[in-house]
Amino acid sequence: MAFASIHIPDFMVQAIVRSEIALRDRAVVIVDGTPPLWNVVAGNERALQAGIELGMAKSQAAQFNTVQIRHRSPAQEKVAHTALLDLGWSFSPRMEDTAPDTVVLDLAGLSALLGSDEHIAKKLAKCASDFGFVARIAVSEKIEAAILASRGFSGISFIASGEEAKRLASLPVRALLPSLEILETLERWGVDTCEKLAALPVLQLSERLGQEGVHLHKLARGDCSRSLVLAEPSLFFEEEMELEDAVEELESLSFLLGRLLDRLCERLVARSLATRVVRLQFELERSFDKDLQLFPPSNRQKSVSRQYEKLLTLPVPVRDSKLLLKLVRLRLQSDPPPAAIVKIILSAEPDKTRTVQGELFLPPSPEPEKLELTIARLGNLVGEANVGSPQLMDTHRPGEIRMKKFLQARAGSEISRKEKNKFIKKNHEESRIRKPTNGFRIFRPGLPARVEVRDGCPVRIFFRGMRGNVVTASGPWRTSGDWWQEEPWHQDEWDLEIDFAISVKRDKHISHAKQRGVYLVYYDVIHESWFFRGMYD
Amino acid sequence: MYTELHARSAFSFLEGTSLPEELAGVCAERGMAALAVLDRDGVYGAPRFYIAAKKMDIRPLIGAEVTSEEGWRYPLLVESRLGYQNLCHTITRMKLRALKGEGHVSATEVAEKTAGLICLTGGDEGPLAHALKHGGIENGMKCVRHLCELFGCDNVYIELQRHYNRAEETRNQAALEIARKFSLPLLATNGVCHTRPEHLELLDVFTCVRHHRSLATAGRLLARNAERHLKSAAEMEHLFADLPEALANTQTLAARLQFTLSDLGYQFPTYPVPDGKSQMHFLRQRTHEGMLSRYGAANEHARRQIEHELAVIERLDLPGYFLIVWDIVRFCQEHNILVQGRGSAANSAVCYALGITAVDPVGMGLLFERFLSGERGEWPDIDLDLPSGEQRELAIQYVYERYGQLGAAMTANVITYRGRSAAREIGKVFSFDPEVLNQLTKLVGAWEYKDVNDTLDRQFRDAGLDLQHPQIRKFLELCLKIQDLPRHLGQHSGGMVVCQGQLDSIVPLEPATMPGRVVVQWDKDDCADMGMVKVDLLGLGMMAVLEDSLKIIREDYGKEVDLSHLPANDPVVYETLQKADTVGMFQVESRAQMACLPRLHPTCFYDIVVQVAIIRPGPIVGKMVNPYLKRRQGREPVSCLHPSLEPVLERTLGVPLFQEQLLRIAMIAAGFTGGEAEELRRAFGFKRSEQRMKEVEKKLRQGMDKNGITGESQETIVRSITSFALYGFPESHAASFALLAYASAYLKCHYLAAFTAAMLNNQPMGFYQPTTILKDAQRHGLRVKPIDVTTSDWFCKLEKEGSGFAVRLGLRYVKGLRADIASEIVGQRAVRPFVSVEELKLRVPKIQKAELAVLAEIGALNFVGGHQGLHRRDALWQIERAARVPGPLFEITEQFRENTEELYETESGERVQAVAKEKCSRLIESPLLPMTVEERLVADFRGTGMTVGPHPMAYYRAELKARGIRCAMELANLSTGTHVRVAGGVIARQRPGTAKGFVFLSLEDETGIANAIITPQLFEHYHVVVVHQQFLLIEGQLQNQDNVVSVKVESVWPLAITRAETLSHDFH
Repeated sequence: MAFASIHIPDFMVQAIVRSEIALRDRAVVIVDGTPPLWNVVAGNERALQAGIELGMAKSQAAQFNTVQIRHRSPAQEKVAHTALLDLGWSFSPRMEDTAPDTVVLDLAGLSALLGSDEHIAKKLAKCASDFGFVARIAVSEKIEAAILASRGFSGISFIASGEEAKRLASLPVRALLPSLEILETLERWGVDTCEKLAALPVLQLSERLGQEGVHLHKLARGDCSRSLVLAEPSLFFEEEMELEDAVEELESLSFLLGRLLDRLCERLVARSLATRVVRLQFELERSFDKDLQLFPPSNRQKSVSRQYEKLLTLPVPVRDSKLLLKLVRLRLQSDPPPAAIVKIILSAEPDKTRTVQGELFLPPSPEPEKLELTIARLGNLVGEANVGSPQLMDTHRPGEIRMKKFLQARAGSEISRKEKNKFIKKNHEESRIRKPTNGFRIFRPGLPARVEVRDGCPVRIFFRGMRGNVVTASGPWRTSGDWWQEEPWHQDEWDLEIDFAISVKRDKHISHAKQRGVYLVYYDVIHESWFFRGMYD
Repeated sequence: MYTELHARSAFSFLEGTSLPEELAGVCAERGMAALAVLDRDGVYGAPRFYIAAKKMDIRPLIGAEVTSEEGWRYPLLVESRLGYQNLCHTITRMKLRALKGEGHVSATEVAEKTAGLICLTGGDEGPLAHALKHGGIENGMKCVRHLCELFGCDNVYIELQRHYNRAEETRNQAALEIARKFSLPLLATNGVCHTRPEHLELLDVFTCVRHHRSLATAGRLLARNAERHLKSAAEMEHLFADLPEALANTQTLAARLQFTLSDLGYQFPTYPVPDGKSQMHFLRQRTHEGMLSRYGAANEHARRQIEHELAVIERLDLPGYFLIVWDIVRFCQEHNILVQGRGSAANSAVCYALGITAVDPVGMGLLFERFLSGERGEWPDIDLDLPSGEQRELAIQYVYERYGQLGAAMTANVITYRGRSAAREIGKVFSFDPEVLNQLTKLVGAWEYKDVNDTLDRQFRDAGLDLQHPQIRKFLELCLKIQDLPRHLGQHSGGMVVCQGQLDSIVPLEPATMPGRVVVQWDKDDCADMGMVKVDLLGLGMMAVLEDSLKIIREDYGKEVDLSHLPANDPVVYETLQKADTVGMFQVESRAQMACLPRLHPTCFYDIVVQVAIIRPGPIVGKMVNPYLKRRQGREPVSCLHPSLEPVLERTLGVPLFQEQLLRIAMIAAGFTGGEAEELRRAFGFKRSEQRMKEVEKKLRQGMDKNGITGESQETIVRSITSFALYGFPESHAASFALLAYASAYLKCHYLAAFTAAMLNNQPMGFYQPTTILKDAQRHGLRVKPIDVTTSDWFCKLEKEGSGFAVRLGLRYVKGLRADIASEIVGQRAVRPFVSVEELKLRVPKIQKAELAVLAEIGALNFVGGHQGLHRRDALWQIERAARVPGPLFEITEQFRENTEELYETESGERVQAVAKEKCSRLIESPLLPMTVEERLVADFRGTGMTVGPHPMAYYRAELKARGIRCAMELANLSTGTHVRVAGGVIARQRPGTAKGFVFLSLEDETGIANAIITPQLFEHYHVVVVHQQFLLIEGQLQNQDNVVSVKVESVWPLAITRAETLSHDFH
């Protein structure tokens, strides 16, 4: 019974190179980190031969003219790993997903179908090459020996039974992936190869390094036996599409999205699952604006990013691709991507399907799916930021609110009832403490007005064709802020009692009347304009 | 008219943005006659405000906002000296019982100390606002009634502030009602937090720092608007047009507040004189005793000088001060603590006679007025150098003990925002990514030299920050604005103030972070400005080295060396100095000093004084080094700036090198008195002001005109004085240091082993890393033995070897080994030797595996159990077993311990050793290979930062020689212009501020140190290699002039000698 280990050396580099054919046969390094602290985290052999060292700063690596520098791409690595799994599964259903860069196949029973072990190994190498990988293959009767050999030796290696220790002798102990503490101890001991480790007396080693030491010793001798941990398909639902030509039109995009959503929902259905969260990611055509990478995401909104992302959160688990498409379309209509799309990634977070029916004694309410669709339509009409329940913000800026998305109550749940009671109790207590206050009707946004000022105090108001005299004035009440933002504010508010002269047409006669009211008027110091903020009842 | 009576300065730490000087300036600008500064829980900024206000002709009124138990603050204004004392007492009480930066007072405590204080009802943080918020007008009335009970109705003012805020105005209306009800006066204030509206931004930043928030998340913690600035009378009249009495009362109240810091009432403590004699009489007696021992009876010149000084001291009523310093010195001498006065005190023959200083000012002709002058009207400044560490702490604790916990305190050190701290804190407030911030702060270079383009702007660009971005621009703007604003209060390294009676009546006291210490709320300059006497008890590493050396010599050599009676002109010392063989010697070991020594060629003590003073920014910037050296070598004729100055400049060959000379020049050339000359020095000193400098310069020129010194001579003199005053050494100070330099040189030349051990025991100090000191000592023939747990103590010590001594390295050099564990090892070893590593682990159970590993790796366990021939890896093999905790089933080691203990108890001598060895033999057999030379080097540097074995370069000498690379020793025999290749480990990299961007490298190999000079252009080119590589190969032209040898570098390469992480001393 033999096992074949497939290992992709310099995985981070290969993950990039397989999607950028031009990089093949060139020295490539991968940098990672937070700008401007980019360091070399991986490099192929050519790069290392050119003098590149791991940990080097990007600027230092850039001094090597022959070396190509690329940023680490977790996405490409994920794709490469999936491809590696596909490669393994195309040969055998019995496969272990050992590491992102390594898989192990059970070759038992494959000979009738695919030939001898040597033949299978060659086929694997060929197939890996078709997948865009330069792979190392090792075949052994011991799983661990196969893995170590594939990590340590290039090309195809066969380890005959009983020859494991001899073949692995020259491998560095690092290849055994010991814990950092043990690696340090071994370094202090001057034990740097499997041969040296294997030569140590195991009993004394166990006294010093414990069971991990014994395990490493076994590994170094190629004497470690274990069974295969079979890989299971994951609960990871993602569909991805790279577009040859960038797409700008929503209709064309909808067609592609529909296909992806269909596929996604089919997969969910096959597993008896649904989703409550759909993540929509677009890679956009590169814009000429330079990315600003100094601020956390909250402050980065103003810059033009190459990524566009939307999160579709649903009140109930759904697996209806048509409904999802409608919701996605509405979301894209209200907030379209700022540039043409070159890549689409759709992912769904799996959830259990909805099984609970509505309560019998509750008044009928619309189906959650339909309600969500309606809210999405409203959002599309009035803007997403304008749908929901208002929430005051922690700022001195008068009347500053944001809209919080409606939350669907979890029907019949004990928690929601408790929360509800708590809320009622809190409101009741607050209303007891709070003194009665005047009502105030707020105009949102403020209504422009013209104001005559004498000695710094408003005396006359012109508003929507009306003229009003200020009877009493109280103010100004001054606020300012956001001086560090591009749009700071500075306002002087006045509480004004105003007599408006009103012309009333009655029976062809025009009579003049006065209407008195108390208003809140403010002067926007930055824009040098007056506005009505609201009216006191 | 209006007077602002409630302003906060930046000394409210993160609650105000304006320095006291700025507040005073803007107040004067606004035409106000007085201003009251009320900082939070202190009077930190009061002296600076007082000094600034005096200059602006403003009355500086004082107060403080004192935090109550509930969190609100009593705004208190000081009416009289009693009030000030009460305020100081109250603040001290609350501070001393709380953690640093915290504290509050109870109403009872306030009630005990209300006399002389006026209480305002405050603004947002005041008592009335708090009461109204938590109970409406009824509670407000209760609060005001309570304040009236505490302070008396005449001393409570209802404070009204108007910042265009509805809620505040509602509160004002309630306050008006309460004022009417209680018939209390109204008082308009603006609760000032900044001088100008635009400073609001900084206030918001401070708010974020205080609350650990960012601007994006601070919300309503930020200021509502920018109205809390210092407003003019007109603006306040407009605001309070409806309440004119509130404005008028500001004038009335300001007139009531009679106290300023001019009325501080500070008294220096009286020295308790025996027999009811006067202090002056007692001082005279002690001085005469000292004079006889220092000068003998026949030195008439000294007697006259001392009489003159005593007369000045008597006239200025300072005998108490001298006696108190003498008392501290006497304490040190009695407790065998080395002590020496430094600075201008060495100009005084009285100080010399009293044993405070060690330099003879009469013999050296030093100017007494530089130290003390009747004209200056300020206390003299005596700084005492003490061995750093415990000895100095003993002296400090003696002062506390002598004058009481509330009679003496350390002076404060106000920590202000600087480049790095400013960028870091503001960056956080702006929510910058931590990585970017790290990069940015790293970029704020540690180089002393800043080239013209090395501005914050450039640093920002280097960090990849786009200055065109509005937030970045704002960030940079705020980084500049925040510079020098106070961040928090620290403790000065050695300044102490003492007081007759209670010091907490003069200034509030606070606990220091260090236990057993209290600090005053003022820094040392503020204390001096307020006329408080300060004694600096400074820790000096070299004093500790000297003291330790003497102790080692006493114990090991059996000799007593008296530093005050060292042979005066020891030829070996001067020969060594002339060769610049000065690694480890005080003040003359730097590369610049080494480059100067062969040219100066010291032959007497005064030459060392000159040597110490000449390598200073003053003489270097004033271009006086080369003329002096040329004249000394006879290459340039000696000439004075003016014939009348010959007596002054004769000793320094016509080149002014010391501050005293400048003072004398001013006295002779311009007819200044001693006091005026000192005034001139101060005008050009650290706190220089343009106006003051102009005034003094004018007076100087007038004086010289009068004496007929005009034209070029006058210009040269003025230039010398102006460029020199800031950075020059006083001759007396240089002489004090030269004494220490001579002593260190003497000890190094004659007691190398003791001096090296003492140097190694007092690291970090001086210019070089311990490894350089060690290698230098080895080159001078000293044998240094490695760390060995069977013999090493915590400190390095001497071991007898033949007729001489070897140094045994101490356990303090084992990286990561805790001092208490080392002490436990030494203690257990003294009981009986360790028979094995396992037994060591059993007897020192707290030792950790990492500590054992380092000990094993550096070879310190090789001799445990009396074994010979074990290697480091054997020990490493053993410690892994010893360090593992056995499970309950495996009690073998426990049994082993019991067996060996039993053996020790029942048998003795060889039998014990034999059995123990037999039992251990199975444990020490290791299958590991011994370390290679390279592995040992790496382990030595990793574990101790040094190696006692050969220098890493020595292993490659043959190979290097084959490549045409010379060793450092060879260079001295080559002539200028020779093209050379030299290699070595970098021990120092320097880019001094005075060297126009040149970089100086010191490369060490097994034969000595080679010096290299890199031009700014070359440095730019090889920056990465020069800064980051440990071993370098350089190529260039040799310069060998007057035995000063250096290589002018043309190319630099990294050299792969070893992976060992050697250390260098960089960027001084």
